[in-house]
Amino acid sequence: MIEFLDVHASYDGTTPILKGIDLTIEDGEFVAFVGTNGAGKSTAMRLVNGLLKPDRGAVLIDGVPTTQLKTSELARRVGFLFQNPDRQICSSTVRDELLFGFQAVGRLDDEARRRVDQIIEEFRFDGDADPFLLNRGTRQLLALASIVVLAPPVVVLDEPTTGLDFCECVKVMGIISQLHRAGTTVIMVCHDMEVVADFAERVVVMTDGRVVDQGPTFDVLRNRKTLDEADLVPPQMVDVSLLLPVMEPRFAGTSVATANTLAEMQAAIEDVAAGGAAAMAASEKDALDDVPFQGSERKER
Amino acid sequence: MIEIEDLTFQYRESDAPVIEDMSLSIPSGAFAGIIGAAGSGKSTLTYALNGIVPHCYPGDFYGSVRIDGNDTCDTTLTDLSQMVGSVCQDIDSQFVSAVVEDEMLYGLENYGVPHDQIEGRVQEALEAMGIADLRQRLIASLSGGQKQKVAIASILAMRPSVLVLDEPTAELDPASSRNVFALLSHYAEAHGTTVVVVEQKIALLSEFTDLLVVVEAGRIRFAGAPEEVLAHSEELLEIGVNCPRCTTLMNRLAAGGLYAGPVCTDVPSACRALCEVAA
Repeated sequence: MIEFLDVHASYDGTTPILKGIDLTIEDGEFVAFVGTNGAGKSTAMRLVNGLLKPDRGAVLIDGVPTTQLKTSELARRVGFLFQNPDRQICSSTVRDELLFGFQAVGRLDDEARRRVDQIIEEFRFDGDADPFLLNRGTRQLLALASIVVLAPPVVVLDEPTTGLDFCECVKVMGIISQLHRAGTTVIMVCHDMEVVADFAERVVVMTDGRVVDQGPTFDVLRNRKTLDEADLVPPQMVDVSLLLPVMEPRFAGTSVATANTLAEMQAAIEDVAAGGAAAMAASEKDALDDVPFQGSERKER
Repeated sequence: MIEIEDLTFQYRESDAPVIEDMSLSIPSGAFAGIIGAAGSGKSTLTYALNGIVPHCYPGDFYGSVRIDGNDTCDTTLTDLSQMVGSVCQDIDSQFVSAVVEDEMLYGLENYGVPHDQIEGRVQEALEAMGIADLRQRLIASLSGGQKQKVAIASILAMRPSVLVLDEPTAELDPASSRNVFALLSHYAEAHGTTVVVVEQKIALLSEFTDLLVVVEAGRIRFAGAPEEVLAHSEELLEIGVNCPRCTTLMNRLAAGGLYAGPVCTDVPSACRALCEVAA
C-alpha cells in the first residue's frame, strides 16, 4: 500500500510543486494520474520511488516512510519507467541492460541470468543488440522489460505510450495489463484519455500541485465540470454519451446516456435506432474487447 | 508547392528502400498531415523535403522532390533551408542558445537578414506562437509546451514557404497539443505557408489538416481529405493506424446500414449525425 499524507514537495526547497496531497493506493490497483503539463503528476511519481523526498508530510510504502527506506529497498519495491527511455537505458547490450537491475540490488546470480534469458525470449529481443540502435518503440519496451524482469510489487509508469505508434502502444499496454492481472500495483501518468479509459480502474486528476478529483475511472471521466477546470477532454465515447442526450431528448434515459466504450455506444445506438424500449444494459467494461488494444498473452513455461 | 515524383530512397547501410516509388503533390498553403507506423518512412520523407536526404545521408536516391520548382538534388542545403523550415522531433537537440531571444536571433543573423528587419520578424514570430512574454526567459526553465512553441517560433522567424514538423506534440498534454496546432494553422493560413506535419495523434490531424497522407512500408497507402481517408477505418487499423473512436463508431453504424452520411472526424459531427440516426 502507498500512502501520501499531506505531501508538500519542491525541487529547490522554495517553489512548491505539490501543495498538500492526500492519497492512498491499495495493493493490486491500476491508478492513472491525469492533468496538464506542469500539474505535478511526474513529481508525485518521483515521490513514490523516493527519487524525491517530501518537504512536509510523508509518503509511506507498506507503512514505512520513503525517508527511512534505503534506495536499494525502494528500488526492490517500486519499479520506475521514465517518460524517455533514453534517460534509463545505460548498458551497451540488451542483455546487460536487463541484468543491470539485479547488479544494482546485489542479486546478480544464476537465477537472475535465467530470468533475463526468459524475458529476452518473451519480449523477442536480440540479447546482443545495442539498445541505442533500436527504434524508439523497442527502446521503450526494453526499459519496461528491465523493470518487469525484477518483478517489483509496484510499477510506476510516467507516460508509457508517449511517442509510440498505435501498434507499439498496444504492445506496451498489453504487457502492463498483464502485469496488473498478475497482481502488480500499476501507477501510471498518461495524457491519452482513451488509454486511461481502457485500462485504469481509478483516476486521479491533478491541477496546480493538488488532487482535484479521484475515483473509479468513469465516475471521474464523466465529471465534465472537473475535467473542464483541469483543462482535460474526456475520451470520445464518454464525450458523445454526455452530449447526445442534451442535443436529442430521445437519447435521454437510454443506455446511450451511460455508455462508456465503443462497443457499449454502438449497441446503445443500434438499440435506440431499432426503437427498442428496453435499452440494452451497458455491457460489462471489457477494454481489451472494446478497441483494438489486444496485447499478446504471456505464456507460462 | 511540393512535388514528389517516383521517389525511392535507400540508406547506404540498409538492405531495402525506406521510401519506394512515392509520388505526392502538396499544393501551396496546404496543411498536410503524415501518419503511419514506426519505421514506415515518415521521418525519411521529412528529410527528403528539407534536403537532408540526399545531401547529408549517403544512399541511393531515385526520382525527384521539388520545392516551389527547385529540385532538392540540384539546390544547396543552404538555399533549401531558407525555403523549408524544419522542427525536429527532439526539440532539445535543436536549441543552440540558453535564452529564448538568442535562439530567435540565431537563424536570422546567420542568414544575414538585414538588421532593420530582425526585430520585426522576432516579434511577429513570438506573437504568432503566443509567447511574446517568454522572450527573455531561459529555455531550460520552460515547460515542454512552451519549448515547443519557441522551437516553432524560431523557424517561423525565417519565413520559410514550407514548414516541416516531426511529431511536434509528442510530449504535450492534449490542451497544449491542440493549442500548438491551432496557432500553426492560423499562422499558415495568414501567410500562405505550406505545413507538413508528422503526427501520431490522429484526432488532431483529422481536425486541422486538409490533406492526410497514410504511409505504409515506404509507400503511400492513402492520401486525401481526412474524411476520405478515415472512411477506411478497418483497413487503417490493419496497418497500425487507429482512427478517432467517433469515426470508427460512425463507420461501423454505416457498415450496419444505420448511417449513410459523410464520414465523421470529430465528436460534434458524430453527435449531429447520431441525432439524424435517431430521428
